[in-house]
Amino acid sequence: MSTQTESVETTSRDLVDRLRASPFLSSLLANRLALTGLGIILLMVLIAVYARLFIAGPFGPGLESIISSQLGSAPDKIAPGWTRGEPLTYFFGTDGQARDIYPRVLYGAWLALKFGTITVGASTALGVSLGIVAAYYSDVVDNTIMRTMDVLLAFPSLLLALALVAIFGSGLWKAVIALTLVYTPRFARVVRGAALKVLEDEYIDATVALGAQDPRVLARHVLPNCLAPITVQSTLNFGLAIIDLAALSFLGFGAQAGTPSWGLMLSNGVENGLLNGIWWWSFFPGLFLAITVLGFNLLGDGMRDALDPRMREAVD
Amino acid sequence: MRSYAQMVSKRFILKRLLLLIPVLLGVGTLVFAVLHLSPGDPARVILGQRASAQEVADLREGLGLNDPIWIQYLRFLWEAAQFEFGESYKIFQGQTVKSVLVDKLPVTIELALYGQIIGITLGIPLGILSAVKQDSVVDHVTRIGALTGISVPIFWSGPLVILLFATYLDWLPTSGRIGATIFLDDTWMPFTFLPEGFSQQLPWFGGPVVISKATEWPLTGMVTIDTLLLQNWEAFISAGQHLLLPSAVIGIYSMALISRMMRSSMLEVVRQDYMRTARAKGQGAKITIMKHGLRNAFIPVVTVIGIQFGTLLGGAVLTETVFGIGGIGVMLVNAIEVSDYNLVQGTVLTFALLFTLVNLGVDITYSYLDPRIQQ
Repeated sequence: MSTQTESVETTSRDLVDRLRASPFLSSLLANRLALTGLGIILLMVLIAVYARLFIAGPFGPGLESIISSQLGSAPDKIAPGWTRGEPLTYFFGTDGQARDIYPRVLYGAWLALKFGTITVGASTALGVSLGIVAAYYSDVVDNTIMRTMDVLLAFPSLLLALALVAIFGSGLWKAVIALTLVYTPRFARVVRGAALKVLEDEYIDATVALGAQDPRVLARHVLPNCLAPITVQSTLNFGLAIIDLAALSFLGFGAQAGTPSWGLMLSNGVENGLLNGIWWWSFFPGLFLAITVLGFNLLGDGMRDALDPRMREAVD
Repeated sequence: MRSYAQMVSKRFILKRLLLLIPVLLGVGTLVFAVLHLSPGDPARVILGQRASAQEVADLREGLGLNDPIWIQYLRFLWEAAQFEFGESYKIFQGQTVKSVLVDKLPVTIELALYGQIIGITLGIPLGILSAVKQDSVVDHVTRIGALTGISVPIFWSGPLVILLFATYLDWLPTSGRIGATIFLDDTWMPFTFLPEGFSQQLPWFGGPVVISKATEWPLTGMVTIDTLLLQNWEAFISAGQHLLLPSAVIGIYSMALISRMMRSSMLEVVRQDYMRTARAKGQGAKITIMKHGLRNAFIPVVTVIGIQFGTLLGGAVLTETVFGIGGIGVMLVNAIEVSDYNLVQGTVLTFALLFTLVNLGVDITYSYLDPRIQQ
């Protein structure tokens, strides 16, 4: 028993020591803005999981209840309860089809984080592989990959996404594919740069001299040493992915009608609600969207500062 | 010494121009793919669902869609190089894509320009202030403000400011480019001269007429500039009022990025040895910052400003949709919706070309500011 506590204590002390020893983590933890960002993200993850389980999932009324029209069984277009002195009814008001906006906005967090994660995950995986391969194999492979990336980078990002949507057609999954292709070059560039630096180190020569095969060198030695810039890029890109996914839905090329995605709710609120004075249709989805993106930007910004030794000096 | 620097820059610019060729070729290929990988049949799109199979087949032949793909590809590249994309199928039926682009592009550029001006005039001073007073309240407010600025989507903040300033306060117009009683005529084509004493009477509006004076300059298609050229003050003020909200909304986004870059760049420069040397020689703090700090700190900011301009052009899709401004951004969205492929191709290529040219301009400016980059 006592040994167990001891070992727990040692590991936690180890952890603290390791955190202290890592200038990246300690300066990140000292950055209050970054911690706030992390807090926002965790809160949104909680909301998303809650919405997935207790609104649209096995423990709630089900997805159908927030997607299908409730006309006839509930009042439509009513303002948030608290504006009328009834804080407990229709917290964010109801929409034109009498759907309660509150659970829809909460479920929007699930959609945003789910599709954001898939987009960022896929573009990270693709970009990192291409970047490392380009750095490792020089000349033809490098040039082919990086010149292709240059072409993709020659478009403003949302424009390229739109052009790809014109090819693939609209829908949330197709928007995810389009945005994955849009973000991939950024990862490829960052990783190629980082990998080129790592490849100059002597331990890489040593590993190769010891007879390690290419995939092993890349996966075990080059990749782990490029993780820091990859993490920063992913975090900053997460905010961008969530905004761009919402933008594609807003323009009518993303989520299908009825889906409780923030972008779609915003577009409906702006087109049909705002000019008639119905502000709550667009206000709440937009607020959640902005706060989530702010969370990722705060964290990503803090990470970038923590990684940059010059900025670290500035903090001291 | 100077001639050597000039020689290097010429070589640098030439090299950058040569590098542009493969990129533009790639861009052209991708735009070509937009048409040929899209699920719809262009001939069917043009003729509509009711047309007979024979009519569709005839039109396909006429459009050259039955030719081998590589012939179509080469033909496309050849025409695209001359900026010819054929006629718009649907939205501007009968007009060439080129003429539509010439007509609409200035609208988008004007908006991006004003947004950028607002972003620069606010972003640079705020960034400097933030750096000079590092970790003060001003610094924190600016940094949080900047991060919030880039986190708030334009398609949310835009409608909210319209609601506040246009609907509730009624200070500014809700959408469009110019007042409804001020007539914008079809003859108002950019790059055209108006004949002496040209006048346009309006049968249905009682309002003032814009095109009433002769101009010595060809019109630009940008309302604020054209109304000035025509010396129509009322129209000029109206145009300015219409541009204020949209350019402020995108300007704040751009301000956020510029102030961030200005701050970090300034912080870095302040720590350089030459700054300490200047102070050690007895120069005052303010003069050191203005004389030695700013010039060096500006270098990375120029890059951000250039990249940001490209992003603003791309963001035009959203801004124009929200503010009801008829530029090429909103046109692209409509063209994709109705599968007006020629228009989609022309617009996407124009955006990519502009973006690439702005980036080229940034690189060249950068090389002048920091000649080390050329080596």
